[in-house]
Amino acid sequence: MISKVFLRNLLRVTVLCIIASFVIAPLLATALGGFKTNAEIRTSAFGLPETWNFEFYNAIVSDPAFWRYLGNSLLISIAAVILTLLVGAAAAYVFAQIRFFGSRMLFSYLLLGLMFPFATAILPLFIQVRDIGLLDSYWSVILPQTAFGLSLAILLFRTFFEQLPRELFEAAYVDGCGYIRFFWRFTLPLSTPILATVGVFVFVQSWNNFLLPLVMLNSREAFTWPLGMMQFRGEFVTEWNRTLAFVTLTIMPAIVFFLAAQKYIVAGLTGGAVKG
Amino acid sequence: MADVHLRHINKCFGAVEVIPDIELEIPHGSFTVLVGPSGCGKSTLLRMIAGLEKPTSGTIEIDGDDVTNFEPSARGISMVFQSYALYPHMTVAQNIDFGLRLMKMPAAEREERVKDAAKRLHLEQLLDRKPSELSGGQRQRVAIGRSIVRNPKVFLFDEPLSNLDAALRTQMRVELAELHQSIGATMVYVTHDQVEAMTLADQIVVMNGGRIEQVGPPMELYDNPQTEFVASFIGSPKMNLLPGKAIGRDDIKSVGIRPEHLETHLETGKWAARVGVIENLGSDTVVYMETDDFGHVTVRLPGHHPLRTGDRVFLTPDEKHLHLFGMDGRKILAKEPLSAPAT
Ligand SMILES: Nc1ncnc2c1ncn2[C@@H]1O[C@H](COP(=O)(O)OP(=O)(O)O)[C@@H](O)[C@H]1O
Ligand SMILES: [Mg+2]
Repeated sequence: MISKVFLRNLLRVTVLCIIASFVIAPLLATALGGFKTNAEIRTSAFGLPETWNFEFYNAIVSDPAFWRYLGNSLLISIAAVILTLLVGAAAAYVFAQIRFFGSRMLFSYLLLGLMFPFATAILPLFIQVRDIGLLDSYWSVILPQTAFGLSLAILLFRTFFEQLPRELFEAAYVDGCGYIRFFWRFTLPLSTPILATVGVFVFVQSWNNFLLPLVMLNSREAFTWPLGMMQFRGEFVTEWNRTLAFVTLTIMPAIVFFLAAQKYIVAGLTGGAVKG
Repeated sequence: MADVHLRHINKCFGAVEVIPDIELEIPHGSFTVLVGPSGCGKSTLLRMIAGLEKPTSGTIEIDGDDVTNFEPSARGISMVFQSYALYPHMTVAQNIDFGLRLMKMPAAEREERVKDAAKRLHLEQLLDRKPSELSGGQRQRVAIGRSIVRNPKVFLFDEPLSNLDAALRTQMRVELAELHQSIGATMVYVTHDQVEAMTLADQIVVMNGGRIEQVGPPMELYDNPQTEFVASFIGSPKMNLLPGKAIGRDDIKSVGIRPEHLETHLETGKWAARVGVIENLGSDTVVYMETDDFGHVTVRLPGHHPLRTGDRVFLTPDEKHLHLFGMDGRKILAKEPLSAPAT
């Protein structure tokens, strides 16, 4: 006899498979597309390639420009992640720990950033960055990227920090630990789940951002991969297989980053601090 | 000489006055227990000694120094919290070591002190574990270890045993008493449990509503409560508080008599009563009775007893052990003899 539990699990697995296929099918089609001829892509977009052509992947991997785009993207994204985590956590720590005059107003003001559409800011941003003189440098992408990630980061961090038991700080304070040391020695190490979550979020956003680098970067040396992809499309007008191969290769770092951060996205890290 | 003096301490949270005006002396080497019902301001008072709260007015002296404006780490105190507050990402050894590290103590001495504390508290086998891998009692010992390595002048405990189960609580109580004997430092201990207070303290401070009701050694508080509140709070089972007319005095608010100071007789006595619930504790028997005229009365009888629920008995209080309380709840001395017994 088939038990109820089995049926329920079967249903659960089926639903999960359907949802996963929505994500995996396009990824797979992209990766496989890089092995196909253009004609084949048009006739069977999702099937296995008739012959495995490695030339497109080879061509991209052996192109130094590809590695430069990738390097630029990586540098910008990692810098944005580090800056967002540090600045966001520090700001959230102050909001969570210290009650000061106007803190609620300031916090609400920061949250306004959540509702601000990125595209409308792009022109004033361009002018601002130009006036500061950062145009065409990595900072012209890193700093705006960080600024737009901060609202969400601070909101999530503050909520998390406020859940750290208050007696933990008091115990450390009696031991002679001040606010700043507590931030480095306690708040950050105990917040890895939220740090990893926000880190992945900021990384992926920065990694895939097209508009910001497009506006800020002019020289090919500084291009990130979405801009580089446009170059490819420009050179080989209808060569979808190359573009797909290119996209496949550029998605890899983001996936690797996610997998690395994933194991920290676990709850219950504060277990054993308080209560029996 | 690490004595603690609280002078005219007043504490308000915003507009709420939690502690109106407290004057307290905690002698060097004493085990002083602050006891009182929940919300009476015990923790607040302890946290002011620790430096985690600032008094609204008044001064705190430790060891003769005015420490009112000192940081907690500069006061020579250490504190054990109700929730232990262990550092979850550090091992037991690192937990104990943390404060010493911040004191910039040389590594060799630190190691020695951690080892010493671990030995004293039977934590040697657990030094490399994380707090999440410890039982409640072990966590409590780590929290105590963390406080003793710093060699404080004054130990502060805020309900340290209330998260433990009953058996462990009794065991830890004994260990704390032994710790106090071996270290000899001043200890200030907060609890709402009068049994803990009676067993641990050499000085009890009974608090109620932000005020000190009475200060003294446990037996003095038991034998000679100065207020009605102390009388009913200290001792288990509780002291019986009957209206003044029970002893023929309408000019007092109440008369207190402990359960062990009531004599039970089947034929004659002062108050007629009916036996209610009987609790056999082995060494003695606690009987809850309903008097005909003055409500409930608890009686403690030595050993086993043949009484049955529903029996009619007569109670006679031991006159030497009556506590008389005036209309303001304060003790008054008995002058007139009691009226003649009823039959
Ligand atoms: N930080 C605070 N802000 C406002 N009120 C507080 C604060 N801490 C304690 N209180 C109030 O002070 C009173 C005494 O609290 P507390 O000292 O914790 O009592 P106890 O430890 O005796 O149970 C309570 O009424 C409590 O609500
Ligand atoms: Mg309390």
